[in-house]
Amino acid sequence: MSEFEPKIIGFLCNWCSYAGADLAGVSRIQYPSNIRVVRVMCSGRIDPIIPLEVFVKGADGVLVLGCHPADCHYIEGNLYEERKIKMLKKLLALTGLEPERLRLDWVSASEGQRFAQIVTEFTDQIKKLGPSPVSGEKPNQKILENLRAAKKAASDFRLRVLVGRERELTEKCNVYEEKISQEEFDSVLDEVVKNEFIRQKIHLLTQTQPLSVRALAEATGMKPAAVLKEIVNMRRRNMITVDSIEGTTPLFRALEVE
Amino acid sequence: MSENKQPRIGVFVCYCGVNIGAVINVPEVVEYAKTLPNVAHAEGNLYTCSSDGLSKIKEAIKKHNLTRVVVASCTPRTHETLFRGACEEAGLNKYLFHMANIREHSSWVHPKEPEKATEKAKELVRMAVAKAALLESQVEPEISVQPSALVIGGGVSGMTAALSLARQDFIVHLVEKEDELGGKLKELYKLYPSNRKSSEVLEEFVQAVHSNPKITVHTSSTVKNAEGFIGNFKVTIADHEGKEEKLDVGTIIVATGANVLKPSGMYGYGKRKKVITQLELENLIKENKLRKPKDVAMIQCVGAREEKEGGRNYCSRICCAVAIKNALEIKELFPDAEVSILYRDMQAYGKDFEEQYQKARENFIQFVRFDAEKPPEVIPKPGGKYRVIVHDVLINNTIELDADMVVLSTPLIQSEEAKELSRMLKVPLGTDGFFFEAHVKLRPVDFATDGIFVCGTAHSPKTISESIAQAYAAASRAGIPMALKQVRTEAITSIINEDLCTGCGTCIKICPYNAIQKDERGIARVNDVLCKGCGVCAASCPEKAITMRHFSDAQVLAEATAALGGN
Amino acid sequence: MSNSVLVVGGGIAGIQASLDLANRGTKVYLVEKTPSIGGRMAQLDKTFPTLDCSICILAPKMIECLRHPNITLLTYSEVKEVNGQAGDFTVKILQHPRYVDAEKCTGCGTCMEKCPVKAPNEFDMGLGNRKAVYMPFKQAVPLIATIDSEHCLYFTKGVCKVCQKVCPSNAINYEQKPEETVLNVSSIVLATGFDTFNPSSMKEYGYGRFKNVILSMEFERLICASGPTGGHLLRPSDGKEPKSIVFVQCVGSRSQRGEFPYCSSVCCVYATKESILVKDHMPETEVYIMYIDMRAIGKGFQEFVDKAKKQYDVRYVKAHPGGIAEDPATNRLQIYYEDIKTGEMKRLCTDMVVLCPALIPKEDNKKIAEATGLELDEYGFFKSKNQLTAPIDTNIPGIYICGYCQSPKDIPESVAQASGAAARAAETITCTTKEAKR
Repeated sequence: MSEFEPKIIGFLCNWCSYAGADLAGVSRIQYPSNIRVVRVMCSGRIDPIIPLEVFVKGADGVLVLGCHPADCHYIEGNLYEERKIKMLKKLLALTGLEPERLRLDWVSASEGQRFAQIVTEFTDQIKKLGPSPVSGEKPNQKILENLRAAKKAASDFRLRVLVGRERELTEKCNVYEEKISQEEFDSVLDEVVKNEFIRQKIHLLTQTQPLSVRALAEATGMKPAAVLKEIVNMRRRNMITVDSIEGTTPLFRALEVE
Repeated sequence: MSENKQPRIGVFVCYCGVNIGAVINVPEVVEYAKTLPNVAHAEGNLYTCSSDGLSKIKEAIKKHNLTRVVVASCTPRTHETLFRGACEEAGLNKYLFHMANIREHSSWVHPKEPEKATEKAKELVRMAVAKAALLESQVEPEISVQPSALVIGGGVSGMTAALSLARQDFIVHLVEKEDELGGKLKELYKLYPSNRKSSEVLEEFVQAVHSNPKITVHTSSTVKNAEGFIGNFKVTIADHEGKEEKLDVGTIIVATGANVLKPSGMYGYGKRKKVITQLELENLIKENKLRKPKDVAMIQCVGAREEKEGGRNYCSRICCAVAIKNALEIKELFPDAEVSILYRDMQAYGKDFEEQYQKARENFIQFVRFDAEKPPEVIPKPGGKYRVIVHDVLINNTIELDADMVVLSTPLIQSEEAKELSRMLKVPLGTDGFFFEAHVKLRPVDFATDGIFVCGTAHSPKTISESIAQAYAAASRAGIPMALKQVRTEAITSIINEDLCTGCGTCIKICPYNAIQKDERGIARVNDVLCKGCGVCAASCPEKAITMRHFSDAQVLAEATAALGGN
Repeated sequence: MSNSVLVVGGGIAGIQASLDLANRGTKVYLVEKTPSIGGRMAQLDKTFPTLDCSICILAPKMIECLRHPNITLLTYSEVKEVNGQAGDFTVKILQHPRYVDAEKCTGCGTCMEKCPVKAPNEFDMGLGNRKAVYMPFKQAVPLIATIDSEHCLYFTKGVCKVCQKVCPSNAINYEQKPEETVLNVSSIVLATGFDTFNPSSMKEYGYGRFKNVILSMEFERLICASGPTGGHLLRPSDGKEPKSIVFVQCVGSRSQRGEFPYCSSVCCVYATKESILVKDHMPETEVYIMYIDMRAIGKGFQEFVDKAKKQYDVRYVKAHPGGIAEDPATNRLQIYYEDIKTGEMKRLCTDMVVLCPALIPKEDNKKIAEATGLELDEYGFFKSKNQLTAPIDTNIPGIYICGYCQSPKDIPESVAQASGAAARAAETITCTTKEAKR
């Protein structure tokens, strides 16, 4: 049986990491050939839905490389990316796909060796993790569904606003001149990430068929009371409605969200 | 338009002599390219970047009616511009071009695995083709640039910049808050290191400014409002009586100078007589009001290089030179006076200051070195005199000096008006309070905002000579867009879908270039001219209302997922 | 009459002046003596106070010069003769033969791989080797090979010719001759930079005798990832990592003994930077800086020094060493100095010493001064017309100076002064064009 050769997608920023990869080439430094590099202008361009979609399509690993902090060609794009990836890892942890399959790192234009080293390390790590559960002939449907729900969660207005404002809130202050500690922020973010994910999961499941609270609790692994709480929120947001009643049990159906 | 029809992609795979060809099976990659969707033509070239190779691309575009071009060769970082140029020459918009890097990212790094390198090359080509199919023509916006500049601040920096710009044949509006031009030149006595009288230098510059027909001087005036962007700034200035004038300028230079710190509370400054700053000392000398001092003690680093939290950390660069200059001046006027300079480090840098330092020592000016941990003490004695107690680290002993005058060398600090100006022009101040340039090393006089520049002590403490050099620099930088009469800005910018934008303002806060503003309806709009194309707004927009031209989600994903199999 | 400008010197100052002028539509000839532009900045690892990777921020500018339609690069060339006046200078440039056809060479590097001759690599301060056919460094601009006829077997012994055999583009041409080009320019900007003083004459420091006493520029090449040791700072004597390093300031500078009485101005802060790099690479290594005055005078420099002290535990010792001795068994060094605080004579033992030598104007400045009639100051720097009010101008109208060759300064100041020289050159074009029209 041939050894597993992972498919790794790399997003490299034009000014630092892509140049570092070029230098590795110029210096003839060898590294495993599994990585496929996509050039972007700034690592900050990588919207969380991009790696999620790439995982959905079966990538075994995603590597995002930007400039070292303080070196970003666009001043702070890499620092915003840092926050996005952090949130994305939280989201991935809920999907069942190993968050270690996503890595953010910094490579400067002169660090050809470092680029090669990171690629080698990451490729080894992914080899050990094995193929992505959603790749190949028989993708794990549950995880695939979770990834799709995660993609939707990552597209959610509230979550994106929160992540977009993270630096401002934790490094500067809000309109009331209050600074929020990183721990406070993280606990709020954790909640929001979790709730959004659950909501999207419920939405996805009830798109294919109307389901009861109990059925949803089983499918998501959550307690029925928690599922009901989310459904109440979703009804308020016009995300879900009662489709029919089976005996005394309401069945819920997803509504198309504008 | 060609984009409405099915794209016809031409793929050119380079051998690059043996650099690619020796490892990667180029013919195999060419054949593979032909099987990809939308590929109308594929060929291999020995050196695609040679004039021969470029001709082949142009010929193929015409012969096969190609609407997209993909070159699989080396890195776009060096060659993209070259190939884009070839496309343009063949009548194809240069943004309909994409590259696959199969040299730096394949043949050069997998030389011992030719099959894998070839497989990788094929996939990189497939990725590039997938993105190329989605590329759209882009237009690089051109904006005209007014051949006029606004210089804010009429000190030596402002005047130098104004004169240089005028000599470059541009119109200059020089705005000065005081009644007369000159800034600190009006207050200084003699200038380092030539000991030339400040008033002479002032006269020279002011004459030149007033006699230059291209420069309009607005004294007793300040900037009230500023809008617009490079090439077209609309600035409102007002004089002391409130009379306003609107100026239309292409570029702005900030030359607002700095002030000397008055160290209230330190060493009894403000309370005790004869405890003064170096500038105040110069004023006394200039106006002939310095009564014969017997003993003068100068203390360096007062209110500067403070190690405490929230203190002024920076070194103000010129104070050691100023102290030496004034000490020598005192000695010249009053040869019997005893002058001591109490310092932490003697910042006599560069060519001329070391000489002056030597000269000072030869003139029996006493230098006493102290540590930040044990600063000197100034104790008032009866008769208006002082006892200065200092721990001399060079002899490791505490000494006491008599002084009938204590001169404090204090740092330059940012002017009060700067904060207001920073807000109006949307240019940042650094943690030290001075204006913060685009890049400390390589763009020292540019702001990140295009078309606005800074020079002189508004940027950081420096000598007059250094200010003049920096002012010329600002005049050079401002001159560039004005000389070109128009600027072509990057086409890779973001665009906001107005129907989706809900005015949350996230993008506005995130954009490092202040390129996004809300319009009258509260909808965010990107200024194409200011946008630098980083894409952080597109990645952050909560409504997914922002698209990055040439790097849209669809384009990036098409390239990324082309390497993958399923789902 | 001309509307173009000659820039002499392809370091960061020359590059900046060239780009400013080219970007406003002015034609520029950028002449550089060595085979590649880049100058000192290309040799540095990181720059202060931001710790930017030096070549990373420099290379895009170098490439811009190469690609710019308004810039003609004349590398491996020198200014021979200058006649005329502002608005109308006639300059003779001598292009040395590379023995490589610039039109054909693709920079593939095959010749370098196969060349059998090794020669000391000037770019690496002689610490590593290059071949007789070489490119000074990987990101050289232009990326064209050059044959060093002093080491090449063909030129010295009439044999070999391997490079010609293996070159896939047929670019080797041993028959190439020096070429003279005559340029007509409006003004000239000089940006020739600096050299490092070689302190072997100062016996007390042991440079040249003790293996583990090196110069700061040699340190830069050792710590740089693209240098001869791949970025590993190893003791020259035994190839091991130093457990302690001492930086010695002001070697040959500020000296009343007549060497170089001025202050080189950048060493205090670059020694701080280099110390931080040591700590980054080897956090356990003890690092000392022996200094006289800590001249952290630029924007952000004092904060940088404070960071080195607090965050990196770099130890600053106010002392100027009397002498350095070596223990021949271990090649460790002993530095003798006076402890200012106690007045005692002390000895600091260390694995490695980095000397920060005086940075001096280039010898070639004299040649240029002769060719142009320019004045040099007493140290060999180009003399400003007026040190106070016209630092960029010289005694010859139309000839401007910028960067270190005018006076000691750091990169941000060099860049600013270079832009300033561009402004003066632009003014000259405008003014002389107007004059001519009258």
